[in-house]
Order: sequence, then C-alpha cells, then structure tokens
Amino acid sequence: MEIAKHVGFGPAVALSPVAVALLGILFERFILRRFYSADPILSLLVTFGLALVAEQAIRMIWGAAPLPASMPQALKGSVVLGDFLFSRYRLLLLALVALVLTGIWLLLNKTPFGLIVRAGTRDPEMVRALGIALSPILTAVFALGVGLAGLAGVMSAPLAGVQPAMGTEILTAAFVIVVIGGLGSFWGVVYAGLLVGVVRGLTVLFYPPAAEASMYALMVLVLLVRPRGLMGEKFERFE
Amino acid sequence: MSAARLRHPLAVLAAALLVLPFAMRAIGMTDGVATEIAIFGLVGLGFNLLLGYTGLVSFGHGAFFGLAAYAAALLQIDILPGHVLVPIVFGTLFAAALGLLIGFLALRRRGVYFSLLTLAFTAMIFSIVFRWTAFTGGENGLRGMTRVSLLGLVGIEDQRRFYYVTAGIVLLAAWALWRVVHSPLGRVLQAIRENERRARFLGYPVQRYKLIAFTLSAAVTGLGGCLFAFLKVFVSADLVHVAFSGEILAMSIVGGMGHFLGPPLGGAFFILFREILSEYTAAWQFWFGLLFMAFILFSPSGLIGLGSRLLAPLRRHREEEAAMAARVTPRPRQEVPAFLRGARRAEGALLECRQVTKRFGDFTAVDRVDLALADRRLHALIGPNGAGKTTLFNVVSGMYPSEGGQLLLAGQRLDGLPPERVVAHGLARSFQITNLFPALTVEENLRLGAQARDPRRFDAWRPYTSLATVREETRALVEFLGLEGLEGVPVSSLSYGGQRLLELGLALSARPCVLLLDEPLAGLAAAERERITALVRGLTEHMAVLLVEHDIDRVFAFADRITVMNEGRVVVDGPCAEVREHPKVHEVYLGRGRDVLFADAARAAPTRGGAAVLRVAGIDTYYGKSHILHEVSLEVRAGEVVGLLGRNGAGKSSTLKSVMGLVAPARGRIEFAGRELGGHTPEQIARHGIGLVPQGRRLFPNLTVAENLELGRLRRRAGDGIRWEAERIFEFFPRIRERLGSKAETLSGGEQQMVAIARALSGNLKLLLLDEPFEGLAPAVRETIFVSLDRLRREVPILIVEHDLDLVLALADRVYVLDRGRITHEGPAAPLRADREMRRQVLWV
Repeated sequence: MEIAKHVGFGPAVALSPVAVALLGILFERFILRRFYSADPILSLLVTFGLALVAEQAIRMIWGAAPLPASMPQALKGSVVLGDFLFSRYRLLLLALVALVLTGIWLLLNKTPFGLIVRAGTRDPEMVRALGIALSPILTAVFALGVGLAGLAGVMSAPLAGVQPAMGTEILTAAFVIVVIGGLGSFWGVVYAGLLVGVVRGLTVLFYPPAAEASMYALMVLVLLVRPRGLMGEKFERFE
Repeated sequence: MSAARLRHPLAVLAAALLVLPFAMRAIGMTDGVATEIAIFGLVGLGFNLLLGYTGLVSFGHGAFFGLAAYAAALLQIDILPGHVLVPIVFGTLFAAALGLLIGFLALRRRGVYFSLLTLAFTAMIFSIVFRWTAFTGGENGLRGMTRVSLLGLVGIEDQRRFYYVTAGIVLLAAWALWRVVHSPLGRVLQAIRENERRARFLGYPVQRYKLIAFTLSAAVTGLGGCLFAFLKVFVSADLVHVAFSGEILAMSIVGGMGHFLGPPLGGAFFILFREILSEYTAAWQFWFGLLFMAFILFSPSGLIGLGSRLLAPLRRHREEEAAMAARVTPRPRQEVPAFLRGARRAEGALLECRQVTKRFGDFTAVDRVDLALADRRLHALIGPNGAGKTTLFNVVSGMYPSEGGQLLLAGQRLDGLPPERVVAHGLARSFQITNLFPALTVEENLRLGAQARDPRRFDAWRPYTSLATVREETRALVEFLGLEGLEGVPVSSLSYGGQRLLELGLALSARPCVLLLDEPLAGLAAAERERITALVRGLTEHMAVLLVEHDIDRVFAFADRITVMNEGRVVVDGPCAEVREHPKVHEVYLGRGRDVLFADAARAAPTRGGAAVLRVAGIDTYYGKSHILHEVSLEVRAGEVVGLLGRNGAGKSSTLKSVMGLVAPARGRIEFAGRELGGHTPEQIARHGIGLVPQGRRLFPNLTVAENLELGRLRRRAGDGIRWEAERIFEFFPRIRERLGSKAETLSGGEQQMVAIARALSGNLKLLLLDEPFEGLAPAVRETIFVSLDRLRREVPILIVEHDLDLVLALADRVYVLDRGRITHEGPAAPLRADREMRRQVLWV
C-alpha cells in the first residue's frame, strides 16, 4: 500500500513481493540458518517469533486500524460470461494465480534450480557430494516462498482489507490446506486449495455461519482417515 | 529448616505469592495486576508440563484458557447465578474434556506437524467463538458475571481478598503439579522428551502418556482461564485468540522451560513488562517479541538459564566432580542380579522365527529366515554387509511388521505387535547406535527401564522413589554393571564405553528372558570388549541371548550356536565349531578363491601405478564419541585400482566418507591432486574431481534417470579430469539410453548401479570412489558392472570398497585391509587372489 501510494497499483504488485523477499533473505541468512540442523521445532519457534514481531512492527509503523485499500479504477466492476457474473478483480486474481502456479511448476520441473530443490528434499548429503552447494539454494527457496506470500498479501488487500493481523489469519488457512493436501506435494496443495475453496463456497450457500469452520472440519476428517494428507510424502523429520 | 528445604520450588512460590501484592503496591501496581501474575504463573506451570517436561510444543493453549473461562461464565450467568466455585470446577473439567479431544486428534502426528495442528484447532475454535455471537457475545463479550462470595463463606468482591483466594488455588495446583512431575508418570514424560522411541522399546505405550500430559496441561490452563474470568468479571473472544497462545509460549520460553518455576517467572516478567512498558509505548509487544527471539537464539533456557549461568562459578566444583566421575572406567560384576535370573527354563526353542520375510519395495531384505534360539544359550548372528541381520532384529523386536512367516516367543505369537507389547512379553534389545536418554542421569535411565514393568507406572501422584521394587532392581543393575559412583552423571557426559555399557544395561532393565544385542562391541577398545564379553557370558546362564556382531574372532570364541546370513537368507546354522570350518561360510566371507570366470585371466602383471593422486596420511575419524579410524594411511596412484578390504564395521565406508569430506577427520591429512583437502566442504571436494558412488547407490528416487545424470554434471563442468558426454555414457551403458525417462525408483538394482556410476562420470572426475558397488546384484548383473569397471581403469584411478573378495581381488591392483579401524595389511592383490590360504590369514580369524 505504501508503495502503491507512490507508484500506483500495478508496479506495487511487482515491487512489494520483491521487497518482502529481500527481508526474507536477510532473515534466512542471519537467523533461520542457525536452526537447520537443530530440532525442527526451534525453526518453527523462531519464525513464529518473527511473525509476532512483524505484526507489532506493522502496528508501530502504520497504526493498528485497517488501511483503506482501494482497487484501481480499471479493475472495478464485473464481467458477464454466459450465465455467470464475475468481478473483474477476481478474474485478474484467477489469472494471476494460474500464472504463478504455472511459473512455479516450470521452475520446479524444468530448470536446474528446481532440479536441485527436488533432489535436495530427498537426499541433501548426496547433492553436496555431487558438487552442488545447497545453502544459496535454500536461501532462494525461502525468499521465493516469502515473496509469494507478499504477492498474496498485495493481491488480497483490495478484497480483505489491510490490517496487522491479516498474516496470522491466512497462515492458519494455508496450513490447513497443506495438511489436507500433504506435505511435499505440489499437486496435493493445488487440489487441496481447490477443494477447500469449493467446500467453503458451498457451505456459504447452504449454511453461512459454518463457512469458515468447514475447512477445519475437512482437516479433522483428513487427519482421522489419512494423516499424511491426500497426496503427501513421508517426511520422517516432521512426523 | 535446612537450606535445601528453603530452596524448594513450592516454598519459593509460596513466599513469592505472599509478598507479591505488597511488591506490586510498592511499584504502583494494583492488586488486580498481582492476581493476573498469579494466574499467568499457573498457566505457565500447566503449559510447561507439556513443553518442558514432555517436549511437546502446543500453539493451542489459548483455546483451553478462553473456553474454560466461557464455560464458567456461561454456567454462572445462565444456570447458577451467584456461584463461583462450581463454575470454576466446571470450567476446568470442560477444558480437560476439550484437551482430551483435541489431544487425541493432534497427537496423531508428531513434532512440527503436531504443533501446527494445535494452531489450526485454536484458530478454528476462535472463529467459532467469534461468530457465534448469540452464545458468546463475540468480540463484545459476555456481561452479567458476578463475583460476590465463595461458597457463601468468604467475600471475594474485594480485590485483595480475591487475590489471596487465587493465590491459594494457584499454590494448591502447583503442589499437585509438583507431585505429578515427581511421580512415575512424570518421569516417563521426561523420558519421552529425551528419546521417545527408546521409551517405547522399554515397554511404555507413549501415546497414552502424551495424551494424559496434554489433558492435564489443558485442565490447569483452563483453571487459569476460569480464575481470569472472575478476575475481570468479563469474558470475550480475545481470550481465545491465537495471539494469546503465542504469548503463553513466549512467556514459558523467556522464563525458562527447563525449570519448574521457569514459566511462572516468565509470566510475571511478561505482565510487568507489559505494565511498565505500555506507559512509554503502545508497541510493547514488539519489544517482547524481539526479546523472545533473542532468547531462542542465544539462551533457549530462558531467564532461569541466564541466572544459573551467572551463578555457575559457585557450582563449578559440582560439575568437576561429575566430569571426573565420567572418566572412571566401569567394572562390571560377575554375579547376575537376582531379578534377572529367570525362573523359566524352557525346553526347546524359546524364540522361534519361522519363514520370516521382510521386503522394502521390491528389495527383499529378509528372505524366509528360520531361526531357533534356545534358552540359556548364546546364539550369534553373523554375515557380511546387507545380509539382513539388523532388519531381522528390527522385525523381531517389533519395529517393522513382518510380511509372512511367524515369530514365536515361548509359543506365543509376536508378529504384528508394537515394540512396547513385544517387550512386555519378555524380549528386549539394545541398539547398534547408542540410544539412551541423554539429559537424564545414569540411574534414571536404568530406573525407567525397571519402572516400565511396574503396575504403578501410570501413577501420577505417588513419588517415584516410593516404588520399592523398582529401586532395588535399579540398584542391583547399577552394581552389576559396575556403574557405582556414576549414578548421578548425565548420560551425555559418559565416556563412549560407559554409554555402550549403559545401552546393554537398559535392555536388561526390562528383565528379558530373550535378549537381543545389536553389535554390543562396536567401536570399543580391546579391554572394554573383554569386559562386555564376560558380562554377556555371565548373562547367558540365565536367559537366551541373540547377538549380531562383526568381531568374528570373539564370536567364535564364546558363542554356542551361530547362524550365518547372506543376502537375506540363512546360509548355515549350527554349533560354533561346525560353522567355523564350514566351506559355505568361507565362501561367503572369503569368496571361492578361483578366478572369477569373466575376469581377464591373462592379466599377469598388475598395472604399476603412476604418481600418487590421493594420499591419506594418518587420519583419525570419530562418529560422535566412537573412534572409528585410527591413523589410517593409504595411497591411490594414477592408472590403478585400489581395493579397501575388511570385515563389516572395520571402517571402510568411513574412510571413503572422510576422503569425500562428509565426515571431517579429527587428525591427519588428505592430499588430492596436489591440494590439501582439510577443511574443504564436500561440494568443493566433489568439484576438485572426486566422484562418489555411495553404498546403496543413492540415486534421487523421485527424479528421472536423465535428471539424475544432469545433477551429476551441473556443477562439475570445470576441471581437467575426465568428463563423459551423454553419447559416451550410452555407448558404455546402453541400458541407460533406454531408461532415460524413467523415475530412478523404478529401476532395477543393476540399472541403478549403472546410473550411479554414470552420474559420477558425467562431471569432472579424477578419482572414482566406489562403495560396495556389487551389493544386492544378481550374478549376471555383477558381470556387466565388473566389465564396465575393468574398462574404466584405463581412464580414471579407482578406490573401491567391496566385501565380495573374488570380485574385488580380480579388479584391484593393490589392496589395503582394514580391521577395527586400522590398516593391517597392504600389498598387491595378485597373491591374495590366487592363494586362498593367504586370504584366510589376512582376512579371517
């Protein structure tokens, strides 16, 4: 929003994720890296601490009240396709998401970088024995994840508003989707995201108060029946 | 009162609670703040039962706090107006029930997953509470609570009065928690924190314990919530917010989760921090968050940890005592303790394996194995690498289910039972890699084993020291193992020999009638091996012992019966003397002795090597405390193939790993192509031109063959070694071209081996390291690989580790023999290839 004030919405969509990714790189390089070989729970705690600090920092800089997030004029309004009415902004969002998904898929499956990442999740020691340094790759992966989160934040601003606690809210939703889809599976997360969206949409139609709880109910079901998630791989370190 | 009594945490807590209101008044705070501190102290204590003692991180305790508060408030407002105590009790029980439910679901996962699940559940509960405004008032909260009197006896409207009632409740709860922590159940929670798997192998059903801890923790947190509701006489959705859960966690860690009073101290700190700093800035949470991160980074043991570090100079002499004690050598006794002398004397086989099979994917690790272990006999299980010995142990002890076949202990079926049930039947095992409870003392480790059989092991109230039988058995075991004087030493400080001894002792504490020992002598010096051998011999007079061991000299000296396994199957099974001279056994270990048919029989003179490419000088390598390599020196010259021979556990793979930089040698030098390799990372060493084809191939299973090869060449394009292009690889290994697009996990063993070698050849290569390349391959495939390696010798020097002597002696020009981490023989391969007697001398007993 800060950036948008200065340069307009479009560039803001491109710039803020980059800015956030840079912060992410600093965090990974100087703080998170220390915990890679320690108990995974410590990494979790330190990133949790970061979330607390970040939320408070936001409050300090921009205040606790929600900021008005205006949609650029060109994207307001709706489009009629057949029998369905779509808001322009949401269509753009869909297009962007499809673009990002394709981009990530290509990155993971068609580039050397992606190759190293996929190999590294299975056998990091062997990757090193092939002459490939993993540290910069890990930093890049983290920065990418952070940047994507930033992009999601920017894009959701006009829809959900901008307030300090928005981070925590989306985090739980994101985690529920990962649990349902399965840790380590690209397509699992995609399907789970779609599934949660559809279930939520249907619940809103038939019994609105339960809409938010519906994804949790789905998560509980998955946990009882298939704890590894719909398409998850076995990761002993986390189980 | 003695000084120790005065320092008792409950006494300290009572004193603090007594003084608190006055201290608060003195710094300008109200009694309300004092009450809040007491309540948060209580919450911290409850949370720490889960965090500090059981090792489980929950992000969900805010839910218990808030929902208990709501339950109490709603009960009072709607059903029992005016009551205070009953709603509090109700709220606490409600929190416990909720804890049971959420715990059951969340504990289906472990570690990070478990923690994130608790987060998800809290978020879910918050969203329900927030939206169900009709019932909960949403963020506006519920009004209508009153706080007048307690049971009509004590007026509690006054802040000060209510404080003392709260303080009383808090002290009572703390006392109860203290008892829990020092009960048999509480000690098991700590064992779970230290080493959950070992706790199962001692016989504890750990899931049940974790659930009990979770429920208790939820209940105490809920109690805090109820008290808070009556403090503020108001409840709202904020109490259930995720942020609050985070604050509870932060408080506990800042205070120090390793100490009973740590989290209460953290709670007090948190509230004072808030009250004082919020006068200066609205962003006090920001500073607290930073403090939290600082503590995780620099002092994970919190304020209490800082405090004890400051006081360390005063405690130094005690630490020195412990360190000195740890250097004492344990001297085991001869006389086996009474409780280990089984009354049972079985005729025939005590433990029987009938056609036991275990597969991993399409690799058969254990293939229809029959084994019978008689009572009071020492039965040894030997065999080369990959024979399936440890897998068999794992199946028998319940770590893996078997696929087919039966396991019988004194006639009862064991197959399919989880480890804790197997132990309950009387079968205990030790582990190859030391698997103890590191932060706990020697005595506590053994006591936990003995306690697992006690009917009162779920007791959460009685002090653990009151279990007389357990105490006696522990004492007897300590004496038997010769560990007197070391009881109070934390296990992590023990010498390696002491740890291996304790490893054995822990298995004994389960009072087995069948004892499984997995390489009990691994990594030990000669004198220690003597002692443990004597110990095991003594034990054999009272129970059945099955052991896996690579120190074959010793095995032949003391075993009654020996089973030899190879490639998952039993080769020979019989009395010691018979096995020792059995031709099939010699074949397994020493090969057939005649030239391998497909080797070039006309190769009379071995290649005389050129300049040294690799020079290893006097390296010593350790895995933790285990001294694996002792002053190992070897050389590989240009144009030659060097074989590294020796029995399992001799240190062959460790040598390769040391060269590759995967394990840094503690002493010595490694020179490669004119460069010193000391301090270089594995990726740097790989780029210098050393290619490793590791044991088990280690292709990336989720990637295709083409991708695996691509990874081999990605960062190894520069350099003056050989580098094979795709065409060259296909010409050498035609099969690879056919399988380019297949995922590595679908390849057969032989194909994987080819790809693994090709992967090393794809990049800059000046020295090829091969670790057991023929392992698990069918004879026809071995031929293909052998021929390929024979052709490769002209292109790049090779250092090969292989236990199939026929193959490696046909391939190598020179060999080194490793025994227990030392080079015992060095010379040309030809004499060993031809002369079977010489092989026996150099490599056999």
